[in-house]
Amino acid sequence: MSADAIFQPLQLGPLTVKHRVLRSSLGGRWDNYDGSGTSTRIDWDSKFARGGVAAIISSNAPVHQRGMLVANYASIDTDERIPFWREVVRRVHEHDCRYIMQLVHAGRERILPGLQASPTGLSATDSPEPLNGFQAERMNVEQIREVIAQFVAAARRAREAGVDGVELAGAQGMLFTQFLSSAINDRKDEYGGSVENRARFAVETVRAIRAEVGPDFCLGFKISIRDHMNELLPWMRSGNTLEESVQICKWLEEAGLDYLHVSVGGGFPHPRNPAGEYPTANVVATYDTLISSGSRTFRNYLMFRTWPLNKGFRWWWERPGRKHGIEGINLPEARAVKQAVGIPVLVTGGFQTASVIAGAIERGDCDAVTIARPLIANPELVNMFAQGLDRAPRPCTYCNKCLFTFLEHPLGCYDERRYESREQMIREVLSVYAGAPLPSEVVGATQL
Amino acid sequence: MIFEPLHFRNLTVKNRVLRSNISGRFDLYDGTGTDTRINWELKFARGGVGAILSSWTAVDVRGRIVPNYATIDRDDRIPFWRTLGERVHEHDCKYIVQLCHSGRQRELPTLHYPTGLSSTARTDLLHGFPSEPATPAQLREIAVSFGEAARRVREAGLDGVEIHGANGYLFTQFLSSAVNDRKDEYGGPLENRARLLLEVVREIRVRAGSDFHLQVKISATEHNKALLPWAGDGNTIDDSVRVARWLEEAGADAIHVSRGISFPHPENPSGAHSADDVVGAYDVMLSSGRHTFRTYLMLRTPGVGRLTARRWRTQPDAIRERNLADARAIKRAVSIPVLCTGGFQSATAIETALERGDCDAVTIARGLVANNDLVRLFAEGHDLPPRPCTYCNKCLYNVLEHPLGCYDESRYLSREEMVAEIMSVFDEQPAVVAVNEA
Repeated sequence: MSADAIFQPLQLGPLTVKHRVLRSSLGGRWDNYDGSGTSTRIDWDSKFARGGVAAIISSNAPVHQRGMLVANYASIDTDERIPFWREVVRRVHEHDCRYIMQLVHAGRERILPGLQASPTGLSATDSPEPLNGFQAERMNVEQIREVIAQFVAAARRAREAGVDGVELAGAQGMLFTQFLSSAINDRKDEYGGSVENRARFAVETVRAIRAEVGPDFCLGFKISIRDHMNELLPWMRSGNTLEESVQICKWLEEAGLDYLHVSVGGGFPHPRNPAGEYPTANVVATYDTLISSGSRTFRNYLMFRTWPLNKGFRWWWERPGRKHGIEGINLPEARAVKQAVGIPVLVTGGFQTASVIAGAIERGDCDAVTIARPLIANPELVNMFAQGLDRAPRPCTYCNKCLFTFLEHPLGCYDERRYESREQMIREVLSVYAGAPLPSEVVGATQL
Repeated sequence: MIFEPLHFRNLTVKNRVLRSNISGRFDLYDGTGTDTRINWELKFARGGVGAILSSWTAVDVRGRIVPNYATIDRDDRIPFWRTLGERVHEHDCKYIVQLCHSGRQRELPTLHYPTGLSSTARTDLLHGFPSEPATPAQLREIAVSFGEAARRVREAGLDGVEIHGANGYLFTQFLSSAVNDRKDEYGGPLENRARLLLEVVREIRVRAGSDFHLQVKISATEHNKALLPWAGDGNTIDDSVRVARWLEEAGADAIHVSRGISFPHPENPSGAHSADDVVGAYDVMLSSGRHTFRTYLMLRTPGVGRLTARRWRTQPDAIRERNLADARAIKRAVSIPVLCTGGFQSATAIETALERGDCDAVTIARGLVANNDLVRLFAEGHDLPPRPCTYCNKCLYNVLEHPLGCYDESRYLSREEMVAEIMSVFDEQPAVVAVNEA
């Protein structure tokens, strides 16, 4: 049957995962403001482990307070955080599911950083992030070394917590992208200019982590193969070409990677990632929270809220999805990388049909797929594939309301059309709190 | 007099300084309480206050103002509050839960309801929060939720409840002549406008018993014109004296005096209006109301922002005296104790107010956010803490997006020290959250 290619184990360096569908990185502001984790995050990740995915790639875990993208995500910036992650891993492993922690430094992408992050983000450049105007500070070489050391320390902590591997968040405009991208990196030193120089920071980080964790710990890298910055804002340069990124992938492989995770887009969100609808009302409702994080506030206020600017922006934003289709939108990039490297290639981008996934694997476009939105809509998707369904009865509609609601409300599927009623939707969204604990004193939690 | 015990009908508090209600978004979105909230309250219990009036605690999902405040809307909330109470009691400090319903004044409504229930269909004039007039049947349900919430507080082993009848929330929306436009038995003359509040007092008495401490916070004067110079000013002190008498008759054990038809209001909390902090943290509220563009411009346009800030600013000393005058008027009219809030932080000012008989105790919010150990400092002989609260109100304007705490950098040696102090509420987290193995 068509799904056979999905249910084959896959070797990611030293790590074996039971089949070819992984949950992609997903946040949700479940945790405490300071980055300490809560049981809500554990319950959230457990949903997907129960639903049958082979592995979970965690929410982006900041390696340092200054690299925080959004407050209320569990961090991995101090040793104190290790016991929390150990508990996450223990609970996820109960479902025969592997756990890979995504390590992030967001650089100048600072949607809602906490107080502890100083007023600007560190970056390859001192130009602000173009869409929202998040302010940036150009890193000097010493700061680059410090951040590499922060990644190394975080990887060591992740390993101590018993996770099955780490993935570096090098896509979607995070700090690594800011160095890799020709549309962002404007440095004149050995970390800017040629592709080789732009890749230096990422390659050095991979080498340093490998030296710390040794050969028997899975290490992956998520990369935006094409930045398509001109699809975000038409007056920008597009950024890295396919050829440049393929070359970068080869260098990363040589530096000691176990897998590559293919994505696109030099910022987040981006019209191609996640591709699909631009839910105007939800953008309006959550954009206000971001206003004070950036400097492009009035332009965006008008662009998101005022007719006909909002209509025009929506048309512009949805164009790539219309043109290229949504499910498997990144397969051409994955194929190009797969042909050039020897390590497994994972790819993200709207997957939710078993035959599409199996076809991509059989054609050799990729070795596995990672899924975010369709698993929010159907956490049981893989179990459904195993039962022979090609698609979930109520598939993800790519409405992107999950994304444009999570800053102010719990992460979940907010497409009312997928539910019997709004009440049912709210119940489903809030179900993640059903197991919320009493305070530790009440149930006598073990202090690990 | 500060250190003399205060005897309410059903409760004795060791001194005359209570922590007034302050919240902080420390809990889970759905209203589940967390250890962070317990850490927060313990700061004040350790600091020596006689009692703590809780965070803003919703009795019903539709009556929440902001997510991430612990609620008391269901029986399964009781264990959290019990644990909190036990920890606070270790410091010989009493704990009174403030029972609240937002009405239409919902700063960041949760997913459940697009509009707030109120006396009126009119939106609030400042933000344009959408509003729906409650039917008598809905008002009956609200009264029952208050009664049930009070029963839960008692079951949790806490020391009493306060009905939040002040600062623009549901009861103000009924009490106020500037808001309530009903034609039924809940609108019109003051007797009618006070009906809901009195029904709630009686319902709490029925469900939590007549021997359980019950106090009511009211805005003694509303000062609507401070916000909207062209509108009616709202209830006067004469109106509130009558309401206080009725509350005493209905069985209230104390009256807690505040002011202002809304929250925030230029006169509560008094002091500065920090334009930068408002811009930084109130943006999140824009989409909650309908007047978003006006609010955007008012907060962010350089000239207008400064003008708004100047208009909003009030003198804390003057406002405190006016609050005390209101408290005095009410105290003369009732025989139950009267508590008064309004920027207290000097021992002599408190002592004077108590000796003059303006009130029986004071409640403090901002002064204690700045100096958690204020009462201990008084006991050691300080009149004012070495680094007093400056009434900059940055604590208030940061609460929606950041942890509650004192954000006045001028009170600290450095910004780093400030951030460390604010973040200290997250210390002593259990190493691993308790997990229900359901």
